[in-house]
Amino acid sequence: MAETSLPKRRSAGAPPRAPASPLLRLLRRSESARGYLMMSPTLLIMTFGIVVPFFILLVISLWTRQGFGFDTTLTLANYGRSWTEPIYGALMLRSFWISGVATVATVLLCYPMAYYVAFHVHRNKMMWIILMTLPFWTSYLLRVFAWKVILGYEGVINSGLMSAGLIDAPLGFLLYSPTAVIITLAHAWAAFAILPLYVSLEKIDKSLLEAATDLGDGPMARFFRVTLPLSMPGVIAASFLIFIPTTGDYITPALLGGPDGAMIGNLIQLQFGAVNNWPMGATLSIVLMLWIAALALVFLLVTRKVQGRIT
Amino acid sequence: MDILDQLGAVREGKLSRRKFTKGLLAAGVAMTTVPLPARRALAAEGDQATYFTWGGYDIPELFGPYQEKNGALPNFAIFGGSEEALTKMRGGFVVDVSHPCNQSMPRWVQTGLFQPIDTARVANWGDVIPELVDLPGNDPEAGKVWMAPFDWGQTSVTYRTDLVEIEGEESWDILWDERYSGRLGSLASGGDAWWCGAIKAGVDFASIDTPEAFDKIAAVMREQRPLIRLYTDDTTTLEQALSAGEMVASMTWNSSAVLLQAEGIPVKFAKPKEGALTWVCGVMIHKDAPNLDRAYDVIDSLLSVETGHFMINDWGYGHSNSKAFDQFDEETLAGLGLSKNPVEILNAGHFQQPQTQEWETRMNELFEQIKAGF
Repeated sequence: MAETSLPKRRSAGAPPRAPASPLLRLLRRSESARGYLMMSPTLLIMTFGIVVPFFILLVISLWTRQGFGFDTTLTLANYGRSWTEPIYGALMLRSFWISGVATVATVLLCYPMAYYVAFHVHRNKMMWIILMTLPFWTSYLLRVFAWKVILGYEGVINSGLMSAGLIDAPLGFLLYSPTAVIITLAHAWAAFAILPLYVSLEKIDKSLLEAATDLGDGPMARFFRVTLPLSMPGVIAASFLIFIPTTGDYITPALLGGPDGAMIGNLIQLQFGAVNNWPMGATLSIVLMLWIAALALVFLLVTRKVQGRIT
Repeated sequence: MDILDQLGAVREGKLSRRKFTKGLLAAGVAMTTVPLPARRALAAEGDQATYFTWGGYDIPELFGPYQEKNGALPNFAIFGGSEEALTKMRGGFVVDVSHPCNQSMPRWVQTGLFQPIDTARVANWGDVIPELVDLPGNDPEAGKVWMAPFDWGQTSVTYRTDLVEIEGEESWDILWDERYSGRLGSLASGGDAWWCGAIKAGVDFASIDTPEAFDKIAAVMREQRPLIRLYTDDTTTLEQALSAGEMVASMTWNSSAVLLQAEGIPVKFAKPKEGALTWVCGVMIHKDAPNLDRAYDVIDSLLSVETGHFMINDWGYGHSNSKAFDQFDEETLAGLGLSKNPVEILNAGHFQQPQTQEWETRMNELFEQIKAGF
């Protein structure tokens, strides 16, 4: 600061050479303005990539369809419809149920893997993590198709069971059902569970575990009283990372869901496609967003409470 | 740092995290830079026309003359139903040529997104069967048409002759037969399925735009829904399911049955006693088509005898070029359910009729609800 104030004093007597622009002056004076300047690329992307589109979505959701165009008088009619017509609520519930089950399954399956790497692998941990996430380097679409091959009528599971003589005819329910969607989601999103779980388990201070053992806890009690509560942040993060995007998933139910496995994402796509009702599609997207936010909040509060009771 | 060295290090467990990351970085750089020349080569042939069409029409066999002239295939964009296609183009997707059917053509014209086709610029125009051009609404001005007819055919039931028991005449009832619950398939687009539902419900197409018709058709569609294993616009999925026996019967177009028969699968394309659904599809040019000359090349290629021969022989569709039929005898054509005189076939079935946008939207909305189980 001393350096910058020096020339100012020198020019105090003479008229200022060139008046600095107000913007520059603001930048020089205020620290927060400098901070915003540094963040501006991100802020710009946030504004134009998220805030503006969201606002557009909000406005469209208040319009109504009129033939091929829109009636632009603002109304809550679409929100009313999304509440009263059973199809929207039912598909919303089904989506929450499917992605809820998929989330629980993924976290349960990935926890042991992350646990093993965090506590029992001592060399080349990075390698293990990369190997675990290796399947996720392939395209999401390819993984979904791979499951179609595995679960299919003449697929790996059915032909395996048939050649083992366990079943006479292929199991039809494996493909084109909510089950197929849950299985695929649970596999396709595993990487998003392994990484946060691993990070939170890795951070646990091993001396706490030793202390628990010294104080007489067996392996089970030690796990439930020390390891699990301390890894809760990872569990919560993993659950959010999976539950939020899978609820609105489109491609998995479209390819594997069949008539009974359709989810809210498919319905939203239809509104922008064949049904040609963009305002309704916008409304459903926003309602879905609100529901996810509400559920996430409840989940967060419950886990806080439970965690508070354990520790 | 050569690869063998790295592999050795991995084996001995000596590879440090930093070295490993470095290796990964190198691999990543290599992967992204290697295909660069290949990508540039693709970009060089860039300016081809874009053809926005039904899934399955994106194959080289239909574009022999186009390829000869322009050295590459046109670019393809795919849709599953014509309503979906129109919505996309209304949303600002610009293509050169698209592929609607007679039923939706007047509505496509109404959107103002298309330009009339100058028939003088289409070399094969002289051989086009006039009855296929003369459709309601296809007359913008003298010497021009909105839609150049390309293919025509039927929507009916393809069934496994060894797995489906037919009593008496073939009928749409196959797709409503509870004995085959969970082993029936259907096209997902209302543009086909709803009209087939109308035939099954006994609704005359002239009165399809009435509340009673909506109720009647919705009732039969709801009755059918629990029996259906899959609604899809992906004909390959339906064909594979039929060939595996996963499905015993499905609503399809001509091509599925012909393709499966060529594979030696015992299937038949039914001639239902209630009549099949018949349609004529064609091509239209977008008003802002960026490659207008090549758009005409696409049309010429589709209307050529060469393409027509493939369409008839390999897919069992009717074609709009009368000369394309010359290489087939009456018997072969009859076996495919075709004839040199398309009007005969089209009128023997139920020919789709243009409807208003309100009808189309309402129908799609209702049908999607039914498919979702409501």
